[in-house]
Amino acid sequence: MIEVSDVRVTFNKGTPLEATALHELDLVVPRGQFLTVIGSNGAGKSTSLNVIAGLVRPDCGKVVVDGQNVTDWPIHQRSRLISRVFQDPKMGTCEDLTILENFALAHGRTQPRGFRFAIDKTIRERAAERLKLLKLGLENRLNDKVGLLSGGQRQAVSLLMATTGETRVLLLDEHTAALDPKTAEFVMELTREIVTELKLTSVMVTHSMAQALHYGDRTVMFHRGRIIFDAQGDKRAAMQVSDLLALFKRDQGEELSDDALLLG
Amino acid sequence: MSLYELLGTVEVGLIFGLVALGAFITFRILDFPDLTVEGSFPLGAAVAAILIVNFGWNPWPATLVAAIAGFGAGFVTAFLNVRFNILHILSGILVSISLYSINLRVMSGPNKPLLGAHTIFSAVQGWGIPAYILSPLLLAVIILSIKVLLDLFLHTGLGMNMRAAGANPAMAAANGVNVGRMKLLGLGMANALTALAGAMFAQSFGAADAYMGIGVIIIGLASVIVGMSILPVRTIAQATLACLFGAMLYRFAVAFSLNADFLGLKASDVQLVTAILVVVTLVGQSSRSGMGKLLKRKSS
Ligand SMILES: Nc1ncnc2c1ncn2[C@@H]1O[C@H](COP(=O)(O)OP(=O)(O)OP(=O)(O)O)[C@@H](O)[C@H]1O
Ligand SMILES: [Mg+2]
Repeated sequence: MIEVSDVRVTFNKGTPLEATALHELDLVVPRGQFLTVIGSNGAGKSTSLNVIAGLVRPDCGKVVVDGQNVTDWPIHQRSRLISRVFQDPKMGTCEDLTILENFALAHGRTQPRGFRFAIDKTIRERAAERLKLLKLGLENRLNDKVGLLSGGQRQAVSLLMATTGETRVLLLDEHTAALDPKTAEFVMELTREIVTELKLTSVMVTHSMAQALHYGDRTVMFHRGRIIFDAQGDKRAAMQVSDLLALFKRDQGEELSDDALLLG
Repeated sequence: MSLYELLGTVEVGLIFGLVALGAFITFRILDFPDLTVEGSFPLGAAVAAILIVNFGWNPWPATLVAAIAGFGAGFVTAFLNVRFNILHILSGILVSISLYSINLRVMSGPNKPLLGAHTIFSAVQGWGIPAYILSPLLLAVIILSIKVLLDLFLHTGLGMNMRAAGANPAMAAANGVNVGRMKLLGLGMANALTALAGAMFAQSFGAADAYMGIGVIIIGLASVIVGMSILPVRTIAQATLACLFGAMLYRFAVAFSLNADFLGLKASDVQLVTAILVVVTLVGQSSRSGMGKLLKRKSS
């Protein structure tokens, strides 16, 4: 469960570049819900994920995850509750470490190993077992440096790593955007399988309207730091990509007329 | 070069292996160019010398306390960087110039002779084998043990967190690693090793000197770069071995160039030669090794 209440985020406060990225955002994602998020560039999608994960501290407001008020927690502490897959495949894995070491690192998130060896038989077996899900043969390359993998393979590994511990909240920020269509499809299906199997509370940002409607249980649209559209259940089931596009266009149009006003 | 000179060079090469291991931790693992070592090397020397000479301590605990003092120095540098966001290089410079004053205070003067004092090397004298053979042997045992301990540490959960914190801080944090704490620990460890080297060097050389830290940073770096570009570095154990090898090679290169009369080099030219060596290795190795990439990327 994620509860974001009354969160405001302003970048470059007190400078000429001051920009409010989120305006009094309220968003509740109940336990086990898979939420998809769309919106134009700069709408505040990544910023809201960053607020939940702790990369961005809000000016005001509160963030509660799994019943704990995490507003003042640093990133590494929140990682015990929240996992993330980044858009850039290079961000989700550490290229200087082996596949197995990356796995062990993710494992340490909920079960730190301190002065014990990072890798033991259990972790090796677990990693191999999880990697088999990918059907990429990576379970036979446990000791290869992650830097040797392709972007798609790295992203698939990131996803497995993010869902390997005991965290119940998963944040995905355009995690298939850097992949070719076929690999993107593969990673997306894998996401769906894992999220369903582990009943994770998930938030997925995407630029694909089709993806946003096809996957998950609920869709919200961001525009200029606000949620302007929120659909689930029958309302969402009846929606077509064209309906979303129409909404999108309406907002872009509004933006244009605003600019026109300013210029006029 | 006589056997005596040869073993003397081996001895210094072994001691500077510790400096190289420290540089490996900061530059290679943590991606933190640490200049504190210029101050922590003489700090280790000064603390050990004072404890042995003025306080009459046994040389072993004195050497250990010197290493702990070095840990403190590295910790302060990391603290300035982590807590107050001061640029890493500047943090190191601030601490190393402070240490210059502190070392003068510790020794109540610019140097402290240890001649005739009871040192870790005099403990192994009188077994019928000459000291110039036993001392390098003792050092080899100590330094190789430290290398193995470091290898083991880097394979623990904590050690792997440290490696991740240096290689990809954002990813490490997202995986629960407290990146700031890893810097504090890593810089502490690196400077403990450097101060330990300083303490041993003073006991081997016969004096602690406030100026003995000049150029230590570049010697450590040269050892790491040269060693890692010559030997294979696929595993941690290979990488640390390469650092020790690089330090030894560096010492021999210095000894030979100073011995070769036709080069016309003086002892005071060593720093210049070292700097040129580092540049030549960095330029020559293109992007083959990770270290070269790392340091070049930073400077561009
Ligand atoms: N670190 C930052 N410093 C200054 N401004 C920022 C920063 N991060 C985001 N912003 C600004 O905040 C606003 C929201 O950005 P955000 O990254 O959340 O958009 P987004 O919805 O993820 O867009 P995209 O679809 O392009 O990824 C933008 O105007 C952006 O310029
Ligand atoms: Mg974004």
